[in-house]
Amino acid sequence: MKFNIPIGPQHPALKEPISIRLTVEGEVIRDADLRLGYNHRGLEKLAEEKSWIQNIYLTERICGICSHSHATCFVQGAEKLLEIEPPRRGIYLRYLVSELERIHSHLLWLGVAGHEAGFDTFFMYTWRDREVVMDLLEMISGNRVHYAINTLGGVRRDLDESLRKKILEGLAVLKTRSEYYYKIGAMEPTFIGRLAGVGRLTKQQAMDFCAVGPMARASGVDRDVRKNDPHTFYNEVEFDIATADTCDVLGRTVVRIKELFESYKICEQILHKLPDGPVAVKAPRKAKPNEVVSRYEAPRGENIHYIVSNGSEKPERLKVRAPTLANYPATVEILKHGFIADIPLIFAAIDPCICCAERSVELIDSRSGEERTLRFSDLRRMANERARILPLQRNVAWPF
Amino acid sequence: MKIAAFLPELLRHLFKKPATIDYPFKKIPVPKGFRGTPFLHSEICIVCKACERDCPAEAIEITSVNEAEKRFRMVIHNDRCIHCAQCVDSCPTVPVKAMEMDSLHEIAGFDRHDMKKSWEYIRALPKRPAPAAPAAPAQPAAEATEKAGA
Repeated sequence: MKFNIPIGPQHPALKEPISIRLTVEGEVIRDADLRLGYNHRGLEKLAEEKSWIQNIYLTERICGICSHSHATCFVQGAEKLLEIEPPRRGIYLRYLVSELERIHSHLLWLGVAGHEAGFDTFFMYTWRDREVVMDLLEMISGNRVHYAINTLGGVRRDLDESLRKKILEGLAVLKTRSEYYYKIGAMEPTFIGRLAGVGRLTKQQAMDFCAVGPMARASGVDRDVRKNDPHTFYNEVEFDIATADTCDVLGRTVVRIKELFESYKICEQILHKLPDGPVAVKAPRKAKPNEVVSRYEAPRGENIHYIVSNGSEKPERLKVRAPTLANYPATVEILKHGFIADIPLIFAAIDPCICCAERSVELIDSRSGEERTLRFSDLRRMANERARILPLQRNVAWPF
Repeated sequence: MKIAAFLPELLRHLFKKPATIDYPFKKIPVPKGFRGTPFLHSEICIVCKACERDCPAEAIEITSVNEAEKRFRMVIHNDRCIHCAQCVDSCPTVPVKAMEMDSLHEIAGFDRHDMKKSWEYIRALPKRPAPAAPAAPAQPAAEATEKAGA
């Protein structure tokens, strides 16, 4: 017997509004249906009414966690349209902030994963250590969340020697802490036991559903814009693509911790070979009619901005494809054949940023047949009844 | 694999001081270059309106009060301000910028209309980079400020 359970748009397990409709058989999810659009903010339309320079701050506010990702993605594209080339020092500083942001985002995610897996100590510690990188970002840019370091043709602030030393010190602290978490992750049996085998996405599925970011990399797909499409700077530093082949939430955790180390490596290289010179060039106010696709590896995966200019001070069109949106098809696939109790973990593992992904796109896995909406209490009653009539099977195979 | 691998770390933290501070009573100083609240050095503003044009939040409003006297009024709507400091970057006055950011960040209020800040001033003449800065650029907001909402 199949039941439909609606979860969201408002639900304690979800931090942002999204609607999931699940068809369940007992505790096993047979079908999932994702509905978006509860947090549409009309940002793309607003971008058409703002000038190039104003749009940097607008795109920065697409997301609160990966704010620099969106701003950088937009600025990369806008610089091509305005036909300017930022100076080397500006580029280095821009991607230094990018990597520091990746560190902060992954530490935040590790905390969330710990929290969802019932390991709240881990959550407390990672979030405490995240403050180190947040303080560094505040010192560099003047703000903790919206760094606003980008400008057309470079960055807005320079780095002095004392700050450079402070960043290196902060990175050393974070490195030892991350090593500790990596060790703990491998040693804590309850943590591994909760994450292993949850939310399986095979390599083939990850490729079929175009998963991006740590989601794809945890399934053994070594896809990273920084390596595959090295823009301006990433071919000058050495780093590896962090992958795992366990194809589950455990793999996604491991990938993120490994990426932390890669980011420390990149940051150190940037700081050691920071070129001298100006940090920005003057940008024109108007762009010739043209179009550009800008790609950027955000902490959550590949971020795409498509920008069209029409010769005026404002872009004609801005289209944002946030990484969370690209991961939704794979999430629907993961949810099928999973357990209800694993939903928060599966959802946490894609690191969803729902308000980033809310464009005017809808993704509906339609299903024929009757739909019934049940309350959780009804469901529990039915589940209890089922257990009374039919004793639960032991040795139930993982439903794949 | 071992049980309770976190335990040594937990015990060590029993003897450390808390990672948090008692916020409203104790405060962490903001770092140098913190982007707080924008304010105007009204005596050096040349009314080029670059800040008004570039402000992404449309928080700056410059209106003419008296055309003959070249008297202008600037209103900063702090309820709309997103603290990006683009106005400071856009300001062309040298050597001291007419727009600047202070380190004020506890700026919550009960009424958004009380958050306005306004300056009424006579337009300064654009200075060449060579001469020295105009007299007394210090103490910016204090004397010229008046609450528009009050």
